[in-house]
Amino acid sequence: MHIMEGFLPWQWCLVWWIIATPCLVFGVYQLKKVLEADREALPLLGVTGGFIFILSSLKLPSVTGSCSHPTGTGLSAFCFGPWVTSVICAIVLLFQSLFLAHGGLSVLGANIVSMGIVGPLVGWTIYRVLRDTRVDMYLTVFLAVAFADLFTYVVTSLELALAYPAEVGGIASSFILFLGIFAVTQVPLAIVEGIVLTLIFKYIVQLKPDILSQLQVFPKEKITSAGSVA
Amino acid sequence: MYEEFLEDIAQANRLREVNTYLKLIAGTGAILLCLLSSSYIPPLFIALVLSGAILFLAGIDAKTYGELFLVPFTFAVMSVAVIILLSGGGEVYWSWSPFPWLSLSLTSDSINKGFFVFCRVIGGMSALIFIALTTPLIDLFIVMKQCRIPEAIVDLTMIIYRSIFMVMDQLVQTYRAQLMRLGYSSLRESIQSFATLCGSVFISSWDAAEDFIRAMDARCYSGKFVVFGETRPVEAVPTILVGAFLAVSSLVVIATQGVALI
Repeated sequence: MHIMEGFLPWQWCLVWWIIATPCLVFGVYQLKKVLEADREALPLLGVTGGFIFILSSLKLPSVTGSCSHPTGTGLSAFCFGPWVTSVICAIVLLFQSLFLAHGGLSVLGANIVSMGIVGPLVGWTIYRVLRDTRVDMYLTVFLAVAFADLFTYVVTSLELALAYPAEVGGIASSFILFLGIFAVTQVPLAIVEGIVLTLIFKYIVQLKPDILSQLQVFPKEKITSAGSVA
Repeated sequence: MYEEFLEDIAQANRLREVNTYLKLIAGTGAILLCLLSSSYIPPLFIALVLSGAILFLAGIDAKTYGELFLVPFTFAVMSVAVIILLSGGGEVYWSWSPFPWLSLSLTSDSINKGFFVFCRVIGGMSALIFIALTTPLIDLFIVMKQCRIPEAIVDLTMIIYRSIFMVMDQLVQTYRAQLMRLGYSSLRESIQSFATLCGSVFISSWDAAEDFIRAMDARCYSGKFVVFGETRPVEAVPTILVGAFLAVSSLVVIATQGVALI
């Protein structure tokens, strides 16, 4: 879910750009470190970006009849970390605005903050907390992805509420109203995205577990045992 | 469903040969003017001029152009409705307080505000679509290099661009095969098929990327892409047109300051 061009007043466009920029700079710094350590990572990062782009231009099996699409950022967040993901996401969002007319240029900063920074950060945190516990690997993936998606939408609602506070009750009631309206499409979407990405993850575990152990996404034993059970 | 990108249209549009910077200045300038205006008239004026340029100068099919507006329209209508109900001020036509913390109302100021935001979205979207339909991304890469954006980003951008098409081929084939085998006949079935589709595409893209780096290594790839290409010359007529468009739009922005619908 992207805010579209022209929707936010210029002051807010500026604010979100100011918040997004240091995160992106840090992301680029990390990206350079990743590439220096392992040059082969470059095409893999590229494929992840292409994959996120394609995923978000696909229409999911329609749940509510709206144009809902997965963000795909959760998967990238625990493969490459949240900061590198934010750079990939920024590029993907730029492509989406120029390829598909989704989102926009002045609101790119706001969209980067919601989809590229907060969403992946939440997903990654959940994944890091649960990774070394005894919680099932697939459940971890599901929770991380679903919450990454949910928080993307919570932050988008907050961005809208800050720009357009209500006459009575101010930002808080405006936030609740935006949250309520978008919940109709976004809550089922987050659950479906969680299920779909978990199934994708399961498929990768079954067919090509070496990808996951190479990136050290999960402890090796967890992956091998899950792969052999399936 | 998956095949058509704006990129294909942009490659064939009639403004392809115009200098990239000129097109970018026209598009981003229009976006900025929309944001800076305080009345609903300038965004509508900009949308009108740019739509004319897209349809008649760039020669884009009107149906394709119209379809691009559908998705932003639904989002805009929903969000503008919320803005109208939430904000207040001016003459009150209708109001309702379902909860103590929430009051929905329809006032003259709120209608003005909602309509203004709606027009700004239309103006901004037309400027964005103008850039998307007239400037292929290949041209943007050259601009990015010339603007000294860090090489790591430019390279990653180009590889993502390349892999989008790589992934796309795989995806279309698999999707068609699934569709023929009734893979999307029910919701349950669709979710299963969609996940298999994405999983297999992810794995095959991974393989393709490994082949890609091997092929590049064989050609002495040192971690840097060389972009050849030069931007097209700045010609008189387009420069005058872009200048005139931005000047007139700025005048409209200044002249209509504070003009409201009601």
